[in-house]
Order: sequence, then structure tokens, then C-alpha cells
Amino acid sequence: MRAVRAGVWTRERALLLLPAALLLAVVVVVPVLRVLMLSVNRVELEDGFRLHLAGIEPYLRLWLDGRWWTALRNTAVFTVSSVALEMTLGVAFALVLHRAFRGRGLARALVMLPWALPTAVMALAWAWIFNDSFGVANDLLRRLGLLPHPIAWLGQPVTAMLAMVVADVWKTTPFVALIALAGLQAIPEQVLEAARLDGLSAWQRFRRVTLPLLRPALLVAVAFRAVQAYGAFDLVYVMTGGGPGGSTETVSLYAFQNYFRYLDFGYGSAVATTGVLIVTALVLALVRLARPRAEAA
Amino acid sequence: MHRLRLRRGSGLRIATLALLAGIAAGCGGAQEGGAGGAGRVAVMLPPGERPFWMPLARDFERAHPGVTVDLIEGPQSTDLRENLYTASLLARDPSFDLVYMDVTWTSKFAAAGWLRPLEGAFPPQERDRWLPAAREAGMFRGRLYRVPVRTDVGLLYYRRDWLEGAGYAPPSTFDELVRVARALEDPPRRWGFVWQGKQYEGLVCDYLEVLTGFGGTWVDPATLEVGLDRPQAAAALEFLVRCRSVDPISPPGVATYQEEESRRLFQDGRAVFLRNWPYVWRLAQREDSPIRGKIGAMSMVHAPGGRSAGTLGGWGLGVSAYSRRPDLAVAFIRHVTTLESQRVLCGETGYAPALIEAYRDSALLAANPFLDRIGRLHANAVARPGIARYALASDILQRHLSAALAGGEPAARALREAARETRLMLGRAGAAEAR
Repeated sequence: MRAVRAGVWTRERALLLLPAALLLAVVVVVPVLRVLMLSVNRVELEDGFRLHLAGIEPYLRLWLDGRWWTALRNTAVFTVSSVALEMTLGVAFALVLHRAFRGRGLARALVMLPWALPTAVMALAWAWIFNDSFGVANDLLRRLGLLPHPIAWLGQPVTAMLAMVVADVWKTTPFVALIALAGLQAIPEQVLEAARLDGLSAWQRFRRVTLPLLRPALLVAVAFRAVQAYGAFDLVYVMTGGGPGGSTETVSLYAFQNYFRYLDFGYGSAVATTGVLIVTALVLALVRLARPRAEAA
Repeated sequence: MHRLRLRRGSGLRIATLALLAGIAAGCGGAQEGGAGGAGRVAVMLPPGERPFWMPLARDFERAHPGVTVDLIEGPQSTDLRENLYTASLLARDPSFDLVYMDVTWTSKFAAAGWLRPLEGAFPPQERDRWLPAAREAGMFRGRLYRVPVRTDVGLLYYRRDWLEGAGYAPPSTFDELVRVARALEDPPRRWGFVWQGKQYEGLVCDYLEVLTGFGGTWVDPATLEVGLDRPQAAAALEFLVRCRSVDPISPPGVATYQEEESRRLFQDGRAVFLRNWPYVWRLAQREDSPIRGKIGAMSMVHAPGGRSAGTLGGWGLGVSAYSRRPDLAVAFIRHVTTLESQRVLCGETGYAPALIEAYRDSALLAANPFLDRIGRLHANAVARPGIARYALASDILQRHLSAALAGGEPAARALREAARETRLMLGRAGAAEAR
């Protein structure tokens, strides 16, 4: 049997790769190129969706579009606050689940549960939880004496965003916890043991040993979560529809509205393309950050 | 990192499976569609309406041997059905011969070239039998694209028992409405006035009635003049803001309400006035309803010297440009818009018919005495502007209305911005048409 050498381009290898390459081309490359092409065109319903080359005009329109800037700001606020909360809670959950205790298997399964629910279903449930007259949130807070009168959570810009962040944190903290748990399990017990013998307190061990060793795993989690939160659509569509006053509209929702409601495929593509560019820049920045600093030394 | 690679692999596997499942489902649908052969008419309906269309479809099949009528059950949400129709028509897919559409879709679908003009099939003397407002709503640039099947008009419901008990006549102006509501309310147990304040199409419907009551206009579909930065428009929005926060007769949550949230409060006996559609009447008169026999209905109140208005809604049928049997599609439309069919469709459901003569029909009136009242209130119907880019015009208005209602933005400033954006959008539409 011939040894397979890495990096050699044989005909069989090419043939074996072909189906995957074709699938990718059909479901990823072609649509992406088409969106790019549409984004530099005017495609309008008044003249039968014919293409008119418009160059950077759609992007100029974007620059002058207040609604787009609002959507961008909403998306940024949503992404930063939900991911920050998810990382903190996720690591905390992972630390607890990493310890040995009775019923740990069950606890791990339970923690994962929200992650397994379809987003649209849980968004609907959260919309009812935050309902002003029938919602559990108001009822609980009033029983606890924290609220003098019911709040229309989804009826005010700040509280609506807060409600969305809470729902997202509830759903996706398990994902962060899972990745962090995997990272924790990869840390050799001896390292922590050595730190303990050196007299480091629990907090110091976490801060100086666990966290730095967890870093690669956490950066993966942040990258995944940031991309997902940035593309948030179903949660917003179901919970608030982008309201009130456009205060929770995200970039994806705005792109969707342009495509499906206004049938403005050129502008919708410009919104989508800028969204992809921004998120790509975000991921590249995170990946740079992920490179261990020790490498340089 | 190894773990990550595993995850990514399984993700792709799931995606592939989902794709295959999608393809399989698509093939299934196509086969089902092909089974009827050439003699098939298909339309997608809301799930709740489908049972009432079944007898109409069976009648049609009896009259046209060899023809099958496919009543496809769509999703409950209007937006989702619009998306499904849009996706299908964009792909020039012939699986729906008929488009069962809301009044507001007509201009967009017609401008996109997705609908067949129907004025040849329905000459003027035939169209004159339909309610005038519903008839107009089916026209786009002088051609007929949609035949009305059932209509809707915005109404103001009130608790007749409470008003009479306190010696009040039904109000006719906005100030009277606020005064009566304040006198009879006891918040948070009982609110004065509930309506639809969420950022969605319903908010635009409510606002249009108040706007017309103040003598204002939104967009004139003929001249494309925008009236949102006029003082009447600001006065109308200030009235809605006043209901929620200045003279609080509406619950704070009204800014999140759609039709059902507001109806529940009213039906539970927790509101004096309710702005809603005719379907509420039937639910309010059910045996187990605590407000049975205690309510009245009229059109929205108006400013002194203004006029009452109810936003026109309703559903009608258009013929898809990609239908393989437009002749059968037209025949089916003719069949469901006869008086006999309107009796079948509207008798049990309480829907308001589109045929004028149906409002004088003794069988229908016996089944639903409220029809007589709706028929008269239809005279106050006001249509949303029939422009091709209506969806964007509505979204612009919704956002700024909602910003004033929920976000505390001053009414005049919100509407100035809405007017500016609307004009910009109409300018782009004009430029596109000129090309």
C-alpha cells in the first residue's frame, strides 16, 4: 500500500473532492456572487425587475439611509450585550458543570435544553413572558415588589432591546457553556495542581491559569456567537418585528424587508453585502486576537 | 480545536440532510400538483377560511366535470402567506392559479406584472355590483387586477350599557371620546379606549382613520402628494399619544397590541371603547361572552367639521400571470362572487360580503343581523393608497408613528421625517418608471 503524502494533488483526490466542491459552488459561491452583482444594480418592481447598472449608488444610498444606521446600531448593541452576558454566564456554568457532583449528567443535559429549542418557538414564548397584561415577567416582578405597576416590555425601545437580549442569552448560553466545558476538560489537572502547590488562591488560579488556557476555546465561542448574534433574524422577527419605532430592527431583518416586502433586490443585496463585509472584518479581528501571544516569544 | 472541527462536520451533515429533505418535499409538492392535469385550479387560503370554501369548490367541480379545485392551506399569518405567494410568483411558478390577496397587495403584485388584468372578464356593469370602495381597491393604473370576495372596514365598538347607564350618548368627536372614556374608566381594571399600537400594519389602519377624522391625508395615489407634514397629520398623531400618555385612557401596553390583544380586553369587559374590525361583533355575541348584547358599533369619531372614517380591508382574488388555466381561474372567481356563494361564505362566518345586493339579502341578514349596520358604515370606508411601493410607504409611517407613541419623539417631528422619507421613496419610484 502506497503511503499517502500530504499536499500531493492526485487525480483521485480531485475526483473525491469534486462532489463537495460542486455542492459548495451551488449553495454558496453562486448565491454570494449573485448577491454581489445585484448589489451594484438597481432592480425595481416598476419595470419588471430588469437590471440597471448603478455602480456604488446603492452604497451611497445606504450611507444616507437613517434606518440602516439605526439597524446597524441596534445590531451592534444587541451583539455586544448578548455575547458579553453569554460568555460570562457560559463560563460560570462550565466551571460548575466541570466539577464532579451527583447528577452531573442530568444537570449537563438540562443546561443544554434551551439550545435545542427552535428559536422561533422560544421567541414566541418570550414574547408572551414579556406581555404587559398576561406576561409572567410582570407578575413575578410585582409579586417580588420590584415593580409598582406592569411594564409594557416590548412597547418601549430600551426594555424591548433588553427583553430580546434576555431571550437570546437564555437560548445561547448553553452553547458557550458547552465549548468552555470542552476547553476546561483539555486543561491538564497537573497544571492546576502545580498552581495550588505554589500557593495560588482559587481566584488567582482561575485568573492566571484556567482563563489563559481557556482562551482559544473562548475565542472560538465568541466568534461563533458574534456572527450568529450579528445575523439575528428569527428572534427579532417573532418577538418585536423590529419595533417599537424601529428600535430593535437588525441589519438582517432590514435586508429581509427590502427583499421580500419592498421587492427591492438591488438595495436588499447592498444591505446584505455590507452586513457580510462587517461580520467578516469582525471575525478576522477576532481570529488575529486568538493567535497566542506566546508565539512571538 | 479538534472539537470545533467535529462540530463543523456535523453541521454540514445536518445542512445536507435539510437540503435533501427540502428537495424531497419540493418533489412531493410538484407531483401532487401534476396529478390534477390541465383541469386544475389552485389557490392558497388562510387555514381558518378553507373549510368555508370547500362547498364552493365542490359546487364548481360539479359544474365543470374533470376539473379539480385545490384549496391549499397556507399559514395563519398574513405576512407569511404574502411571502409564500411572493416567492412563488418571483420564480414564475404556476402552482397557484389564483392569488387570494389582502387589499394592500394589489398594487405591488400588479406593478410586478404577476397578475392578469381582468377588466375584460368583468365588464363595468358587473363591477357595479361590488361595493364601491372594494371595487376601487382592486384597480391599479386604471385596470382591474383583483375581484373583491369579502370586505372589512374599521369600526369603533363601545359599551352601550355603560354609556346609557351614565347618561352619555355615543361620542362623535375626539374630545367627547376622551371625556366619556375618562368618566367611565377605572384603570387598570377597566380602560377607556383600546386599539392597535404595535409597529405593524394595524397601527397604520388606526392612524388613517384618525387622520381622516382630522381632515388630513397620507399619500394621494393619483398626484403622489404627501400630507404627513401638515398640521392635521400631527394633530391626529397627538391624539393617539394623548390617549396613551397625556389623558391616559389607553393602557401603556397599547403600543404592543394587535387586534387580538385589544379585543380580549374589551371582551373581558375591561374596556369602554375598542377600535377593531367587524369580526369582533360575532365573537362578542357568543353565548359565553360577558359583553353579549351590551355593545354598539359605529365609525371612528372625528374632529369638529371632519368626517368619520373606517379603514378599508378585505380579501379578493386575482389571477396569476403564470397560471396555465386562466380561463378556469376566471370562471372560479365568477363562481365565488355570485350571491349564492356569498351566502355560503358569509352566512356562517360573519364575513362582510363584497356584493352590494348581499346586504339586502334576507337569508344573509337572518344569519347575521349586524350586516345591515356594516353595510351602512361601509359608506365611511377610506382606502390605503394604492401605490406600487405601498409596503415601504406603510413601513416608513409605522416606524415614525411607533417612535412617537413608544419612544416619546414629538409627533410633528416624527411625521416631518416620515414625509421626507416617503417623498424620497416616491421620487425613486418615479425615476424607475421613467426608465
